[in-house]
Amino acid sequence: MFQVADLLVMALTPMVPLLLGAVGEIITERSGVVNIGIEGIFLLSALTSAVVCFYTNNIVLALLVGLITGSLVGVLHGIISVYLRGDQIVSGVGLNLFAYGVGVITLITLWNTFGNSPPVKTVPKIIIARYPVSPLTFIAIIIAVLAWFFLFKTNAGLRLRACGEDPRAAEAMGVNIMRVRFLATILGATLAGLGGAYLSIDWVGQFTKEISAGRGFIALANVAFSNWNPLLAIIGAYIFGFFDALAIYLSITSTQPTLAYLFKVIPYLGTLAVVAIFVGRARIPAALGKPYIKE
Amino acid sequence: MSTREPVIEMENIVKVYPDGTVALRGVDLIVRKGEIHGLLGENGAGKTTLMRILYGEIKPSRGEIKIYGKRVHFRGPWDAIKAGIGMVYQHFSLVSSFTVLENLALAMSSITKISVSEVRKRAEELMDKIGFKVPLDARVESLAVGIQQRVEILKALMRNARILILDEPTSVLTPIEVEELFKTLKRLKEMGITVIFITHKLKEVKVITDTITVLRRGKVVGVVKTSDASEADLARMMVGREVILEIKKKPAKEGKTILSIENLHVRDDRGLLAVKGVTLDLREGEILGLAGVQGNGQREFAEAIVGLRRVEKGKITYMGEDITNKPTSEIYMKGIAYIPDSRAIGLVLEMDLLNNSILTRLKSFLGFGKKILWNKAKEFSYKVIKEFNVMAESIKTPIKYLSGGNQQKVLVGREVATEPKVIIAAEPTHGLDVGATEYIRSLLVKLRDSGKAILLISTDLDEILQLSDRIAVIYEGKIMAIGRPEEFTRERLGLLMGGVNA
Amino acid sequence: MLKRKISGWRIIEYSSTAIEIIGSIGIGLLAGGIILTLLGYNPFEGLSLLLFGGFGDIDYLLSRATFIMMTGLAFAIPMLSGFFNIGGEGQMYVGGLVSLLVAVYTGNGILALIVGGLAGALLGLAISALKVYRGVNEVITAIMLNWTFYYILIYLITSKFYDPLAPHESVKVPALARFGIIELGGSRIHIIFFISLALVLLAYYLLFFTKLGYEIRVAGLSPKTARYAGINPNRAILYSMFLGGLFAGFSGALNVLGFTYYIDNLLTCMHGIGFDGIGVALMGRNHPIGIIFSSIFFSMLILGGQTMQIVINAPKELADTLSGIIIIALALPYTYRMLISYIRTRRLVGKGVSSS
Repeated sequence: MFQVADLLVMALTPMVPLLLGAVGEIITERSGVVNIGIEGIFLLSALTSAVVCFYTNNIVLALLVGLITGSLVGVLHGIISVYLRGDQIVSGVGLNLFAYGVGVITLITLWNTFGNSPPVKTVPKIIIARYPVSPLTFIAIIIAVLAWFFLFKTNAGLRLRACGEDPRAAEAMGVNIMRVRFLATILGATLAGLGGAYLSIDWVGQFTKEISAGRGFIALANVAFSNWNPLLAIIGAYIFGFFDALAIYLSITSTQPTLAYLFKVIPYLGTLAVVAIFVGRARIPAALGKPYIKE
Repeated sequence: MSTREPVIEMENIVKVYPDGTVALRGVDLIVRKGEIHGLLGENGAGKTTLMRILYGEIKPSRGEIKIYGKRVHFRGPWDAIKAGIGMVYQHFSLVSSFTVLENLALAMSSITKISVSEVRKRAEELMDKIGFKVPLDARVESLAVGIQQRVEILKALMRNARILILDEPTSVLTPIEVEELFKTLKRLKEMGITVIFITHKLKEVKVITDTITVLRRGKVVGVVKTSDASEADLARMMVGREVILEIKKKPAKEGKTILSIENLHVRDDRGLLAVKGVTLDLREGEILGLAGVQGNGQREFAEAIVGLRRVEKGKITYMGEDITNKPTSEIYMKGIAYIPDSRAIGLVLEMDLLNNSILTRLKSFLGFGKKILWNKAKEFSYKVIKEFNVMAESIKTPIKYLSGGNQQKVLVGREVATEPKVIIAAEPTHGLDVGATEYIRSLLVKLRDSGKAILLISTDLDEILQLSDRIAVIYEGKIMAIGRPEEFTRERLGLLMGGVNA
Repeated sequence: MLKRKISGWRIIEYSSTAIEIIGSIGIGLLAGGIILTLLGYNPFEGLSLLLFGGFGDIDYLLSRATFIMMTGLAFAIPMLSGFFNIGGEGQMYVGGLVSLLVAVYTGNGILALIVGGLAGALLGLAISALKVYRGVNEVITAIMLNWTFYYILIYLITSKFYDPLAPHESVKVPALARFGIIELGGSRIHIIFFISLALVLLAYYLLFFTKLGYEIRVAGLSPKTARYAGINPNRAILYSMFLGGLFAGFSGALNVLGFTYYIDNLLTCMHGIGFDGIGVALMGRNHPIGIIFSSIFFSMLILGGQTMQIVINAPKELADTLSGIIIIALALPYTYRMLISYIRTRRLVGKGVSSS
C-alpha cells in the first residue's frame, strides 16, 4: 500500500513529456498533418536546453531555447509536409535520425563523451507526499486543458479541426488550409520542444544520447489512445507514465540486477497492449496525413 | 415572360478549357427576381459549368455577368457570397463529423466575428421563418440526406443569400424528401429569394419552376415559361434532333441467353439500395444498351455482376452457372470482361503496358510455381498494341504517358483480346476524341457480330441509339423499359431517363 | 497521338530519379561540409575521407553493406505494397538472437539462418496483422516492438546466454555453424556478402517474376485498381510484411552467424542497422537492384566516417547525421515531380484562361 502510493506519485514524472508531446501532436494531427518526428524533437530540445543551461545556468532561458528548438523543427516539417507536400512519415523518420546523430556529435564535441553530459542545474521541485514533483507537471496539465478548450470551444479550434476532417469543405467555408496546418505543426512541435527540454533539465538532470528512448513514440501512442482529445491525453500520459515508473521501481527494488532490462520492456509492451485493445475504435481525423491538393 | 426585373444576366458566356474542350458556346441566361428558374439539360450540357462561373469558382473565357443590373467580376466564391449568391452542390460542403451548429459556425466564422450562441439564435430565427427544423446539435453524418441539404440551404441563407443555386438537388433525395424540398423552395420564393434549380429530371422541373432554360452541348436551346411547355417539348429540346452518324451494322444474329440477372438488389457505398430489383437477360451476339443519367445505379449494377460488390438479394446466372457473389478473379477467368468507367481504376497508370496487360487474367500468365511468364505477356501486349492500334513507344512505357484515347484502347484491348464471352463496357468512349470514339464503337459492333454478348452502359444517347440491339433504361435503380431501338424515340428516351413513365 | 510527344518519357523518368538521388546526396554532403567547418575541421579533407575512406578495407566495406542491404529490403518490400515498416530493427534483433540459439543448439548454420529469418518474418507479419485487423498504426507497433526486443535481447544475453569466459558477450556460434571467408582473386571476403547478393536477387525475382510480387506492386501503386483486378490489398500487405521481416531477420542472422559470431550485451554489432536500412531503401528507390548499390554507398559513408574519426578526429556519428539529412532530403523528391507538373500546367493555361 505504502509502495503503491509512491509509485502513483512517481508516475507524475515520466508523464510530462508524454503529455506535452501528445497534446502538441493532437493539435497538429487534428489539422491534418502527421509528425512522427516528436522523438527527434525531444532529443534536439533536450540537447539544446541542456547546452544552454550548462553555459548560462539560467533555467528559464534554457526552457525557452527548448521551445524555440521545437518551433524550428516544426517550421521545417511544416514546410516539407504542407507546402512541398512531401511524404510526412519519411520526413519524420529523417528528423529522428538526424536528431540522434546531432545529439551524439554534440556530446562528443562539447564534452568529449559518448554517453552522458555533465549534470546541469534543474528546475526546482515541489515536494508532494515526500516525493519531488516538477512544477512543469502542473503546467503540462494546464496546457492540456487549454488545448482542449481551444480545440473544442473556440471558432479558431473549429476551423483547425475542419482542416483535418474535410479540407475541401473547410476551404469552401473560407479556411486557409495551408496556413492553419503550418501553424498547427509549429505549435505542436513547440509543445514537444517543451517536453524535450523537460527531459534534460528537469527530469534526468543531464543530456544522454538515449534520453528519449522511444518516448516520442509513446506520446504518439497516447495521441491515438486519447482519441485525439487533450483531456483524455492526460489520463493516457499518466497510464503510460505509470508503466515507465513501474519499470524503474521494479528495477530498483528487485533482487536480480539483470531483470532490470526485462522491466524496461513494460512501458513499450504496455503501450502496445493499450493501443491494440483500445485504439481500434478511435476516430482518426479523416484527412490525416494527406497533403491538401487544390482541385 | 414575367415582367419582373432581371436579377441575374449572363451574356454570351463562353468557356474553353485548357485542353481545348469547349464547355459553353455563348450562353445567355436571364433570371428574374423571385422566380424559381430551372436550368435543364443532359450530363455535359454545361449547366454546372455555367453555375460555377456564376458562383465565381471558375472564370469565363468570354462574356459578362450582371447582378441586379451591375456588372460584376467575381474573383472567387467569396465575391459571389458577398453579392448575395449561395450555392448548394450535389456533394455538400459540410464537415460530416461536426454538428450542424459547428458547421454553421464554421461557415460564419470566415465572414464575421460571431459567437456560437449568436449563430444558434440566428439559425433558429431563420428556421422559424422558413418553416423547417434542423437538429442543431446532431452530427451531420447522422442526418438523412434531405436534412443535410437543409443545413446547406440554412448555411447559404445565414450568409444573407438572396439568390440560391441548387445543383441537382433531388438526385440524392427520396421522393418524400423531394416534396419537403419543394415546400421549402416555395416558402423561399415567398420570402423574395430567387432560386436557380439545375436538373435533368423533367417531372420535377415541371412541378417547381416558373421558367426553364434548356441547355444542350453548351448552347441554349430554348427558354420557356414552364406552364407553356409539356414534358415532351422539354425532352425534345434536351436531347435534340440532329442527324446521328449511322454506323452500318447488320441486324443482330441473336443467340441464346448467356447472362441472366434476376431481381438484383445491390447497395451503394453509403449503404443505400442503388439497384432495386433489376431483372435482365443478356444474349449472345447482341449489344444491350443500358441508358440512364449517371448515378442511377449503373456502376453498382456492373460491379455486382463481376463480384466487386455484394449482391444483397437476387441471382446472377452465367452459362447456366450461378455466379452470384463469386470472387472477381474467378469471374474474369470464366469469360466475363469488365471495362470500368474510369481508366484510373481499370489500369495501373504508374505501371507500363506490359504489366497492365496481365492485370485481370493473371492466372493465364502463370507458369510453374506462380512464376510469371513474361514472354507470354509480351506476346499478348504486342497483340493488343497491334490489334487495337495503340500508339505507344514501347510496351515498357508507363501508361500514364499515353493519351487518354490510347489508354482506353489498352484497357479495352486487354479485356477484349482474351476472347471473353460477355463484355460489360461502362462509358467506353468517355473523354475520347472523335477518332478513338468511332474506333471503339465499331469495335463493339464487330465483337457483337462475332457472337459476344455486350452490356453497354452509357450516358451518351447517341452511342446507345447507334450501337444497341436492345435498349434498357435505368432510373433510380429500376429498369423503366426494355425494348428494341425502334420502339424508342429520342423524346421517349429522354422522358424515361428523367423518370417519366412513357 | 504522335510518337514524338511521348518519346521523352524515358528521359523524364530516369533523369528525375537521378536528380532526386544526386540532389539529396548533394544536400547531405553540403550539410556535412558545413557541420565539419563549424566544428573546426577542413571540410574537403573531411568529406573526401568520408566518401573514400572506406575503400581501405574492401571486405569490411562489403560485409557492412550486407546487413543494410537486408534491412533495406525489409523496408522496401512492404513499401511497395504501401506499408511502412520501420520495425526492421526489432525484426533484425529477433533474427539475430534466434539464429544464434539455433546455431548453438543444433550446430547447423543454414538451419539457423533460415529459422532466424522466419522469426523476423513472423514479427513482421504480426505488425501488419495488427494494422489490417485491428487498425493499429504500424509506426507505433513497430517502434514499441523494436524497443521491446532490444531489451528482451539484452536481458537474455546478460542473464541466460552469456559466455562464462566473457560475460559481456553472448555464447559463441560454434565453428561448424559459422559462415566463413572465401578467397577471391587474392582478397579475402566474407561469404555473407555473396549470400546477401543471392538473397537480393531472390527478392528481385519474387517481386518482378511471381504472382505474389505482382500483387504486392499493384496493391501499392493503386489499391482501387488492385480491387478491380480481384487482388486483395490487405493480403498483399500481409505478404509483403512477412517478406520484409524475413529479410530483416536475415540481416541479424547473417551478422551473427557470419561476421561477429556472437552478440554483445549492448547489441552494438546490430544497433542502428535497421534504421540505416530505411535510408538505403529510399536511396535505392525501393528497388532490389538499386538497394545493392545504395547499401554499398552507405557502407562507404559509415566506414568513411570511422576513417575520418581516426585521421582527423571528427566524430563518426557525422555519418549518422548525414543519413538523417539525406533521408529528409529524399522526402522531397515528390517536390521535383510536382514542380514539373506545375510548370507544365502553367504553360497550358497560358493567357488569362482560368486553370480549372
